[in-house]
Amino acid sequence: MTMAADNTGRNSFVLLHVGGKRVALPAGIVGELAPPVRLHTFPHTSPLVAGVIVRRGRIVPVYDAGLVLGGKISSSQRFYLIARRQLGKTIEWSAIPVNGECELATGEMQPPGTGRPAYVAGTLAVGQESLDVLNLEALVAAEAKS
Amino acid sequence: MKSTDEQNAKSRRSRRPETVILFIVAHQMFAISADSVQELRSTDSLAGAAIEIEQPEFPKVRHTIERSHQTYYVVNAGVHFHLPVTRPALVLILRQLRAAVLVDRIERMAEISGVYPLPQAFTGEERSWYRGLAYLDDVVIPVVHPAGFLSPEEFHRLDRATKASVSQSEMESAVQS
Repeated sequence: MTMAADNTGRNSFVLLHVGGKRVALPAGIVGELAPPVRLHTFPHTSPLVAGVIVRRGRIVPVYDAGLVLGGKISSSQRFYLIARRQLGKTIEWSAIPVNGECELATGEMQPPGTGRPAYVAGTLAVGQESLDVLNLEALVAAEAKS
Repeated sequence: MKSTDEQNAKSRRSRRPETVILFIVAHQMFAISADSVQELRSTDSLAGAAIEIEQPEFPKVRHTIERSHQTYYVVNAGVHFHLPVTRPALVLILRQLRAAVLVDRIERMAEISGVYPLPQAFTGEERSWYRGLAYLDDVVIPVVHPAGFLSPEEFHRLDRATKASVSQSEMESAVQS
């Protein structure tokens, strides 16, 4: 699944399951949903980085975001949501393991409630549900602190 | 802001083919530029020449070897990369650095099309361990940075500690004789 440009407006979000929790990411930073591919691992000391995958000729780091959101370690058979991180003046693609069920939704993001973690940028009402909209940068930083 | 395509193009331009030695430590494969390795020796062949040192500050360095009137520090790659303890069988003696590296075995030599930069998601010690990543036969392999085994500061502290240890031994010998 590749996100079409006309679906990535300011009020578009990708809904996904991370660490057993349904959350939303701004569609504008999402590149694609990649099929299960080999996770390459090697020694490192960066918290939350599970390894790397190779996608479209790029080496993409994989963040085990589920460890922060749900405390669950993702299984080996998984899809990857590829999202863009802004690192200073450069952009780096990053992958988050997901279960493969993703959908696009539009709506107005509301501010997060008080006391919510910094990685919650806001909330999005989808039907009867209120989903956390993730701030990927803060999520990665939260992981680093935990 | 640099686009990803621009970054990829720049990265492709900076990638140059090179010959690497693939080596194994605790079942993990690493690559090191063949140009940065002066010699490969078995640990058995160095057994008589290695001098044991005890530097609690540097658990990864437990031996030195003398080569060309210089002291080389022998770094246990398993300890360096925080891997489980193994029984290394080979020593990579590095070129242009007074360091040798204990590894389990050599897999083979290979030509890689280039080294991909280490993603910025990696923020820990690996930034000094690795020059980047290679993609060879559908496997991503970290390409080690030879100078990452011991920093100039670590060399300095090891030299100082070793010198102090030698002086103390000489003094003890003089007292005994």
